[in-house]
Amino acid sequence: MQTFAVIPARGDWLAAAASSRVTLVLLALLAAGIGATYALDADVTFALSAPLGLLALNLAAAIAANPVFRRNTALLVFHLALLALVVLAAAGRLTYLKGQLELAEGEVFNGQLTQSEAGRWHRSQLERAQFANEGFTIRYEKGVNRAETRNGVRWLDDNGALQRAVIGDINPLVLHGYRFYTSSNKGFAPVFVWHPTGGALRRGTINLPSYPVHEYRQALEWQLPGTNTTLWTMLQFDEVLLDPEQVSQFRLPEKHNLVVRIGEARHELAPGESISLPQGMLVYERLSTWMGYTVFYDWTLPWLFAACLLAVASMAWHFWQKCAAQPWDGDA
Amino acid sequence: MNAELQLLWLALMLYTLAGSTAIAAAVLAKRPERIILAVIVIGLAAHTVSLGLRWERLGHGPFITLFEILSSNVWSLLAIYALAYWRVPAVRPAAVVVMPVLFLMMAWLLVTSSVAGHFPPTYRTVWLYVHLLFGKVFLGTVLVAVGVAGLILLRQAGLRVASLTQLPDDVRLEYLAFRFIMVGFIFESLMLVAGAIWAQDAWGRYWAWDPLETWAFATWLLLAFFIHLRVTVRLEPWRSAALIWAVFVLAFLTFFGVPFVSTAPHKGAV
Repeated sequence: MQTFAVIPARGDWLAAAASSRVTLVLLALLAAGIGATYALDADVTFALSAPLGLLALNLAAAIAANPVFRRNTALLVFHLALLALVVLAAAGRLTYLKGQLELAEGEVFNGQLTQSEAGRWHRSQLERAQFANEGFTIRYEKGVNRAETRNGVRWLDDNGALQRAVIGDINPLVLHGYRFYTSSNKGFAPVFVWHPTGGALRRGTINLPSYPVHEYRQALEWQLPGTNTTLWTMLQFDEVLLDPEQVSQFRLPEKHNLVVRIGEARHELAPGESISLPQGMLVYERLSTWMGYTVFYDWTLPWLFAACLLAVASMAWHFWQKCAAQPWDGDA
Repeated sequence: MNAELQLLWLALMLYTLAGSTAIAAAVLAKRPERIILAVIVIGLAAHTVSLGLRWERLGHGPFITLFEILSSNVWSLLAIYALAYWRVPAVRPAAVVVMPVLFLMMAWLLVTSSVAGHFPPTYRTVWLYVHLLFGKVFLGTVLVAVGVAGLILLRQAGLRVASLTQLPDDVRLEYLAFRFIMVGFIFESLMLVAGAIWAQDAWGRYWAWDPLETWAFATWLLLAFFIHLRVTVRLEPWRSAALIWAVFVLAFLTFFGVPFVSTAPHKGAV
């Protein structure tokens, strides 16, 4: 049996910091922190960072002070890999980005996220990760259970050459370290053309609430660009698009109307129809779709993976040495 | 009843026969070990065909519903125990502990609905298979350790049947159980790594402290604590055995409890 309990004296502070009994206390503290965070549904960062930081110090002190690590390379590599994991996890936490965005069909991502959270030291380079949504197909199994999502995207690579790919589900688009994933959020996007009086024409979309999650809430309030006019817009159709009784596919309704309310006035628009307003003319061009994406950035991912592999491989090596030294039915 | 369920029933009956024989043999101090192993292997063969037929019918492996997860784990736990039973004769007496644990799982399986569930598109990745393979090996090796640890606890409780008194001393049994725990620790670590890679692709993050991840990490932490404790202080064998049982209980809840009470997208694939 290998023991860590006896550590040569290189100063009381190092011996105390390297104590494996301290390790046990810190492991228990880490478990308690995780348990408390889980039970209280609180932010896990502090509950983890304090015991993990102390564990890292304890581990570093043990590696420095305990001769067993110099005698046993596998054990040394395992604990160094663990140390690397803690450092990398901390670095990742300080520099990560997690966010969400929505793109209508044909729209180019301009770096703007609808929601995001980031580490304190994250320097956004999202503006470099431009891509366009070229539309999607989603198959549904019976019971409106979402199956495969296939989303066409295009972007310009570093040489300015046009690239195309189909992403979806477990296949993200990776641009400049940012990983873009299709999400379950997607829906209908009416395309409008706004001709302001004396101004330049503007084409744009509004992204209605996610479909089919908000099947009965396909309405949105929005503001005409450059005006104070607020419009309430609702998509109306009678078809069953996703039949729970059979396999189906996300598609646009064959016939639909768009209800637009401006103040007390109510309009029903078919594609190509327009509304004249004092500030200009609003044309409802057609119905399109939008796709919701999540974006994730963490430069430490490949290093974390390498550290994990190294940790597991060296641990297996260490255990193999222990087990191979004696038969399985042998004495301790 | 279709062939799939008939074969499952046949397998469960054979497992029950093997387990009952092992318990009776322990009480009567007999050693029909070859017969027990043969019955388990025939049961595993029937169970394998049953799982294969279901896989073929549904187009996906047994990783979605509680029925599928229980069935595939009864299969994998028995396959790993049978392998250990064959290769490491010292774990054979542990059948008196291992088989009753599996009886409980089989009883649970019999009262669980066999209706198919939805196979999410995020499960169509090789990492799912890697993740669950490591998970099954982890739980299997811990179950073998639990069986050996159970023998120590039975002796500690004062049970004096002949087959228990003929076993090696507690220190040797504890070391044998610890070896399986070490193997389990490696596979649990691999399971977490493979799961993180899958989660990165499936949900755009490698770790989010969802209930299943939290419980799986708590199990890893308890294993790490146990291994560290064992090399730090000289543990009495019965205390070590009790800790091995604690690891198993935590792992069991992680595998078969948390995925079915959690509302997170991360459901029981193992």
